[in-house]
Amino acid sequence: MKTNEKLKLKNENLKMKSERSGSRLLIALFVLLGLIISGAPASAELTAIANHDHISIDFFYHGSNVSVRGVSDPGADLIIKISAPDGHQALRQKGKVGGLLWMNVGTIDFEQVPALYFVTSSKKVDDILSKEEMAKYVIGYEALEKHVGLKPVKDEVEKSRWFNEFLKYKENSKLYSSASENITFSQKDGKQNYYTLFEWPYQAAPGDYTVTVYAVKNNKVVEKAEQKIVVAQAGVVKQLAGMAKNNASVYGILSILAALGAGFGVGLIFRKGGGAH
Amino acid sequence: MYLYLPVALTSINVLIPVGLGLAVGLLSGLFGVGGGFLMTPLLIMLGIPSTVAAATDSNQIVAASTSGTYAHWKIGNVDFKMGFYLLAGGFAGGLAGVQGIKVLKAMGNADFVIKITYVLMLGIVGSYMFFESLQSMKKKKAEAVEVKPGKESWMTKFLKSLPLQTHFEKSGVTHSVLVPVIFGGFVGILAAVMGVGGGFLMVPVMVYILRMPMHVVVGTSLFQILFNCIEVTFLQAYTNHSVDFILAVLLLIGSTLGAQVGTVFGRKLKADQLKVILAGIVLLVTVKMVFDLTLSPSLLLGLGGGH
Repeated sequence: MKTNEKLKLKNENLKMKSERSGSRLLIALFVLLGLIISGAPASAELTAIANHDHISIDFFYHGSNVSVRGVSDPGADLIIKISAPDGHQALRQKGKVGGLLWMNVGTIDFEQVPALYFVTSSKKVDDILSKEEMAKYVIGYEALEKHVGLKPVKDEVEKSRWFNEFLKYKENSKLYSSASENITFSQKDGKQNYYTLFEWPYQAAPGDYTVTVYAVKNNKVVEKAEQKIVVAQAGVVKQLAGMAKNNASVYGILSILAALGAGFGVGLIFRKGGGAH
Repeated sequence: MYLYLPVALTSINVLIPVGLGLAVGLLSGLFGVGGGFLMTPLLIMLGIPSTVAAATDSNQIVAASTSGTYAHWKIGNVDFKMGFYLLAGGFAGGLAGVQGIKVLKAMGNADFVIKITYVLMLGIVGSYMFFESLQSMKKKKAEAVEVKPGKESWMTKFLKSLPLQTHFEKSGVTHSVLVPVIFGGFVGILAAVMGVGGGFLMVPVMVYILRMPMHVVVGTSLFQILFNCIEVTFLQAYTNHSVDFILAVLLLIGSTLGAQVGTVFGRKLKADQLKVILAGIVLLVTVKMVFDLTLSPSLLLGLGGGH
């Protein structure tokens, strides 16, 4: 399949021969040769564009939508993943004390775990991709479980149990989701376009996120396209958050003064407008 | 309308914190409590991280208690002298309590001790106040005006035997200076351990041990809560960066108004009625905490911090 496409491309390049200058052809041939030798993604047909690569968190921010669209090979299935970089997260663990009372009994450290993780696909991932490939590209919850490290857990059973609790926790705050069969395809100018929409949660912290689109054929990832999304605070939100961190004493004093002022202000208003007492 | 909270890192419908502020401010003006024991858990339920919820609530209480203290001061319900002694004790107790938590954490069972202390204190204080004020309401109806000044408990006798006796004019009581300092310190320790302002403990101490009139109790309690919360807000902002200014503003819009309305309502209610209602609320919170401790939680993992 791959080589067929490459041949097609080669033919097209050859057709152009007469119209274009020799040096250009030479470059094209070298590039093509390079692709064949390196065995890199076949036709570079896959593209990924998000509707915005910069999400500003301003005063009235209440989450956003991120749509991903592009051109894909009609013969391939697609898997789209949005994730935050791997990091460390410590969570308090609830357990029963004395067989009766629920309370925090310890802390579990999650290593190599993304703060946000969305996966969606044109068909069920299990039907279109092999386990090895899923693990390699960390696609799906099962692969993610193998990828992350948990401390302290005794064995695989316990790891699996707490990883599932972790998924529940993350899905509850809308930071993890796994879906399938919600990528729509359409034909335009002889090309296949795909489109999908993610609800971007306001719970997602400022940072860099990566959208990766995988083209899948014969249980294997054949092509990959990436797009970055930067989420950043802006305006008043940015100033306040910055001040709370970098100028903590001034921030604290201003917060107190504002509260005192508001308390007195309302007291005075009530006295003036009063008569109630 | 939704607003984004820059420190809590979440978005919230503005009507919710304004409404919560109004309700808790009302309680504050009525009973002289900060309402942290209600507000902090409610904020956590709304998805605010627990450390931010506790710190921001103390910022909000600064506004509500300023509003409330001002309203009570105008009608002559603040005993500043008593307030200062309680504050001095409370401050020292707070420092001791923070050290106490460190010891508990090192022993590894801090959470257990904190939760149990909280439930027990709420339960005991709530039930005592509830039954005591119900009884005195019944008595008053049955026996009209029958005061029994002769009968003094061992506690009162003991308090009278202490040195440094001084008269508190506003409250109309005479006590040793040591009494408010020591009991203020005791409440301070518990408040620090439980991570709350301690108004619901201070009010019964003033009513039952210091024998202050209920209306002066409310004003004086608000006065000392104001200073406690200024201190806590600053420390939280400075060391933990956990005060969310926008959330605090939304809450205090409601709570400053609520505190004024509460003060007006409070004057129309009798002392025993006030005590019974406060006791009822404290008992409800106790029941809720017991449920939280015994029912299986839906999520077994959560963010750290807070209690």
